[in-house]
Amino acid sequence: MAVIDIESDALIALDGTRKERGNLTRGRIRWVTAVLVLVFGVVAGRLIQLGITVHDTAIEGRERDAITASRPAILDRNGLELAVDIRVPSLFAEPRRIIDVDEAVEKLSSVLPDINKDWLRGRLTGEEGFVWIKRELTPALQEKILQLGIPGIDFVMESKRFYPGGTESSHILGAVNIDNQGIAGIEKDMDDENVALLQSLGLARGNELAPVNLSIDLRVQHVMHDVLTDALTRYQAIAAAGVMMDIQTGEIVALVSLPDFDPNNPVTALEKDRFNRITSGIYELGSTFKTITMAGALDSGLVKITDSFDARFGVRFGRFTIDDFHGKHRILTVPEIYKYSSNVGTIHVMQTFGKDNFRAFLSKIHMDTTAPLELPEKRNPTVPAKFSEIVAATASFGHGLSVSPLHMLRAVAAFVNDGKMVVPTLYKRTAEEARATYEQVISPATSRKIRYLMRLNALEGSGTRMNKFAGGYRAGGKTGTAEKVVAGRYDSSKTLALFASAFPLDNPRYAMVVLVDEPHNENAQSGHTAGWNAGEATGRIVQRVAPMLGISPDFNQVLDDQLVPVELR
Amino acid sequence: MIRNLNIVLFVTSLFALSGVYGLKYAVEQTASEKAELQSRIARQQSNLSLLKADWAYLNQPAHVGPIVVRHEAELNLQTLQQDQFGRFDGLPMRLKAPDDDALDSLFESLEAGIDPIQQIISEAQ
Repeated sequence: MAVIDIESDALIALDGTRKERGNLTRGRIRWVTAVLVLVFGVVAGRLIQLGITVHDTAIEGRERDAITASRPAILDRNGLELAVDIRVPSLFAEPRRIIDVDEAVEKLSSVLPDINKDWLRGRLTGEEGFVWIKRELTPALQEKILQLGIPGIDFVMESKRFYPGGTESSHILGAVNIDNQGIAGIEKDMDDENVALLQSLGLARGNELAPVNLSIDLRVQHVMHDVLTDALTRYQAIAAAGVMMDIQTGEIVALVSLPDFDPNNPVTALEKDRFNRITSGIYELGSTFKTITMAGALDSGLVKITDSFDARFGVRFGRFTIDDFHGKHRILTVPEIYKYSSNVGTIHVMQTFGKDNFRAFLSKIHMDTTAPLELPEKRNPTVPAKFSEIVAATASFGHGLSVSPLHMLRAVAAFVNDGKMVVPTLYKRTAEEARATYEQVISPATSRKIRYLMRLNALEGSGTRMNKFAGGYRAGGKTGTAEKVVAGRYDSSKTLALFASAFPLDNPRYAMVVLVDEPHNENAQSGHTAGWNAGEATGRIVQRVAPMLGISPDFNQVLDDQLVPVELR
Repeated sequence: MIRNLNIVLFVTSLFALSGVYGLKYAVEQTASEKAELQSRIARQQSNLSLLKADWAYLNQPAHVGPIVVRHEAELNLQTLQQDQFGRFDGLPMRLKAPDDDALDSLFESLEAGIDPIQQIISEAQ
């Protein structure tokens, strides 16, 4: 079959039949391979596409896990619930899956009559993945809506915060918003700590979170709330607040500030005057400050409990003369100065102590820094950085400087706890943990003298009204009636009444500060000074809570006698 | 040889096909069962949380307190006073030996027909 072309120079190679067939087959195989590669390539591509598709589960920009996330239950120190989560259905729609918007609107408004139809129509039209329709419904309503059988409408189980105690512990607990994030109080603190992190990681679902124990004793909290609510009407006051602390562990046992709000309806917290007066109110604390002046002066050794001071005449500073409210106008011993709450005597005590020493002592007991507590609502105290003669004089009886009642509580607690100052907390804490925060601010010997002075004031001084109710529980403390500044001047008709106390003073366990804002006389026979309102309220609280806290009454005279310092026996 | 292999492969693929078909339906059914169980769990959890919240509410001092106040007059409830507390050391110790004289006089008066309790009452009046 070979043909040879003589005229051409090039060699012509001709393939054999077998070889030609072989070439053809190889070409076909190549085609088949190419097609197969293409087909499998498409399959692989599709698989990759499916693999990398992110399923959009976000609801209005928030992760579904974050929305269904729960918060840990908050319990009091004995395990009673202060805040719990309830699971409630929330209605949402997927507008891109809704076929007939008008039908859906009609059906939904038959079950939810208070919903605006035009708003709902606008909500359901469009291409969004998720839109809320109504959050936090009841299970009965959920059942009705499910029976309507509307496509593109579904429920998600949300956690809703419920505070079974209502207003009672509102200032401690704070509140959460509709997305279950803490916006105030301990709820906000827990978020700042770690709950928010857990929620964002989607770990806080179901009942997985361990409940949190607070230091609050709900029974004591109830009594304090009850007594202070009564005080508001009894003394026609504009506000009342109280706080009680375990002096050894620093645990806040109760904290009430009236007027308060309902955490189940957080909007009420925004009303006027609903702030937490214990932590975010700063006041001129008046004569309760004399306890601090005495503690500093006695601890320095420059003033002795046996000393006497001339309180016959007022103290002059330029144009001003400071005189006594309960004036005795004679020479007073240190216990008498405290008992009669003599401003003049206290100024002399402070002057013997030295104004710079006094200012340094205020720093030592942290009067000029924000009081540490887990609540986010706090305000800085205003204490002048340097004391002039007159500022030091007024500061010695609690005027010209503003601190929160929590500052006073912490100081009083340290003074009766052998001089050991503890960091207060709202979470349950053991004695060992508390001891790590101890700071020695005065000596145990001075602490014993302060305990004597506080008890003496309850037996013979301005605290007798308190002792009338709390007799037998060895309570004692210092009153303070501070005139409020109205339009730049002290107004004697508007006062802030305080009582800073501790009990039982033979073996102190609890310290308490109660304040009543702008009290009036209960009746014609009673006075308007702090002993009559804040003092009585303190007595009523002690009388009711002491048995709950395991303190039994004891009228034995020996206990009071033992408090008297050896020098005075 | 090749033909036998083809038959085996064909039969295997038939079985596999029907198997996959059946599996698909089984999975769908399991999935719907799972969804139903999940919604039941969610519903029960929601009911449980409501009951727990109810329980917590009913146990609150804030709830119990007003009930006590409401029945104060009827049940003659009063705040506990300090002198209502007693102590163990306030109790008298038991006598070491019985007081023979006192017992004798008691028995004698009983035999004489005097009821000691009645006597105390009449003395008090």
